[in-house]
Amino acid sequence: MLNKRKPWQTTLLYLFVFVVCIVIIYPYFVMFTTAAKTDAEMYAAKMTILPIEWQWSNFINAWKAAPVFKYFLNSLIVAGGATIVAIGCGIPAAYAMARMRFKGKGFFLGAVIMSQMFSPVVLLVGIYKLMVGMNLSNSLLGLVLLNAAFNQAFAIWLLRGTFLTISSEMEQAAKIDGCGTVQALLRVLLPVSAPGIVTALIFVFINAWNEYTIALTLIQDDLLKPITVGINIFYGYNFIQWQYLFATSLFATVPVIILFLCIEKHLVAGLTAGGVKG
Amino acid sequence: MKQNANAPVKDQAPAAPKPAVKPASGKQTLRKVEPYIWLLPSLVLMAVMIVIPILTVFRLSAMEISRAGIVKGFNNFANYKEILSSDIFWHTLQNTLVWTIVVVLLSTLIGFVLAMVLNQNFRGRKFVRALVIFPWATSLIIQAVIWKYIISADYGSLNVILTKLGLIDHFINWTSTAGAFFAWECWVGIFVTVPFVTFCVLSGLQSIDDTYYEAAEMDGAGFWKKLFSVTLPLVRPSLTVSTVLNIIYVFNSFPIIWTISKGDPADKTHTLVTYLYKLSFFSGKSGQAAAVSVVGFVILAICASIYMILSLKGEEAE
Repeated sequence: MLNKRKPWQTTLLYLFVFVVCIVIIYPYFVMFTTAAKTDAEMYAAKMTILPIEWQWSNFINAWKAAPVFKYFLNSLIVAGGATIVAIGCGIPAAYAMARMRFKGKGFFLGAVIMSQMFSPVVLLVGIYKLMVGMNLSNSLLGLVLLNAAFNQAFAIWLLRGTFLTISSEMEQAAKIDGCGTVQALLRVLLPVSAPGIVTALIFVFINAWNEYTIALTLIQDDLLKPITVGINIFYGYNFIQWQYLFATSLFATVPVIILFLCIEKHLVAGLTAGGVKG
Repeated sequence: MKQNANAPVKDQAPAAPKPAVKPASGKQTLRKVEPYIWLLPSLVLMAVMIVIPILTVFRLSAMEISRAGIVKGFNNFANYKEILSSDIFWHTLQNTLVWTIVVVLLSTLIGFVLAMVLNQNFRGRKFVRALVIFPWATSLIIQAVIWKYIISADYGSLNVILTKLGLIDHFINWTSTAGAFFAWECWVGIFVTVPFVTFCVLSGLQSIDDTYYEAAEMDGAGFWKKLFSVTLPLVRPSLTVSTVLNIIYVFNSFPIIWTISKGDPADKTHTLVTYLYKLSFFSGKSGQAAAVSVVGFVILAICASIYMILSLKGEEAE
């Protein structure tokens, strides 16, 4: 707002911001410092906030203590695959909904919005049955397809929003020059809408990377687990290796936060513009 | 913007001139079918992966299913009768409502205030803005595990820090009762939900033209007057999206409760999703789990319809 702040307002503002920062940083601080503690310090009688002895080797040993590398690879396959499938199916659908007139468009639009409401968790019993029936339970392909499907709504929504902001004049010009619809899409529309597409790509990737519940339900084979489920290995019933658990969690979190920071501006605009144009 | 009632109507795509009725040629048929071909991959993917499980859940909810997962046939809605007569189910439903309302309401309040603050100019604003992204970007399961560690009674970080600060002299069991467990789970829920609200509201705030505030100040409006007559009406669309989406996310949120308490002690901290997970994958009662799913599904469908009506309304107003 425009008015100048009074000194007490400024003080209050900084105080509020300070508290917010502390609260947000706190769990990450705990994760980082605990990851660097030695085994003995973890359960010592006199516990400290910071490690007495920073054991950086934990960050390396975590990779050897369990098939962490394999977990990361699985996450990469699932998230990457889901992203490709979701965007590959989403671009043509979003294009049709942004540029074409056809019967049932309103219905399809409604169905897309509705589908975004149904999280896989509430359908788990059905999903499990379906995947067993298709012989895709305990397989990465099953996770790829499910993550792609449950991210379709967001992908289509974001992409359609992007396409709508771009005038169709250039495509029409390209068509007059003899381009087909597909060529007009590939050569004219997609390059211009790159920021929106990248946002959708990264968002689907992050969602699939962070997904936990479906993978927990479907994957039994330890070597097929993505990282979110894999870290449970440090979390046995009678013995928890917190330092490895948190070291691995940090590796799984930092890249995602960086990706998220890159798309934040486009993402928020896309999400809210999609929902309410009013 | 809807509020700009007098703004000139945006250029609508001119209605296609009605073609004179001609016998349908092959090319015309193709043109009619073409949009559906573009939609096909997406339709197939969603039909198989979403619609089939929905139908399966409905079908299984009325079936007797053995522990081994073999469907034994229609059992006259015995699953529904059983869950509806179970105290745990009703307690779970109550928990689900409390969990959804508390988390969404408090997150919206905190998120709104935080967005107002981030919309001010102050030193370090960019840093704080980036920091607020963190909980949004971090996997729920990882955040749930950290908080479980933080509040652990024997070696939890919260006890250590409070002892060092001299605020407590012995370690406190933060989760001595089911209610305490549930309260901590709500806190973690709020922690992970606030950023989404903040960024939705912030994008709404940033689209407000300064002239509105100038006009309000000319009329002698103070802070509260401006808040209620300018800010709130103009960010209402953003608030609506974030609230409706959050209701659905929070309702469906599984990792936090499953990680921190697994619905225990004595099944007192379940929400519908953790309860149905336990029924299906731990107790071998898939039929009852499917019935719980249907209950959750119906509640969600109501929320989804409201959201759809609101979004399509926005779409028409475009």
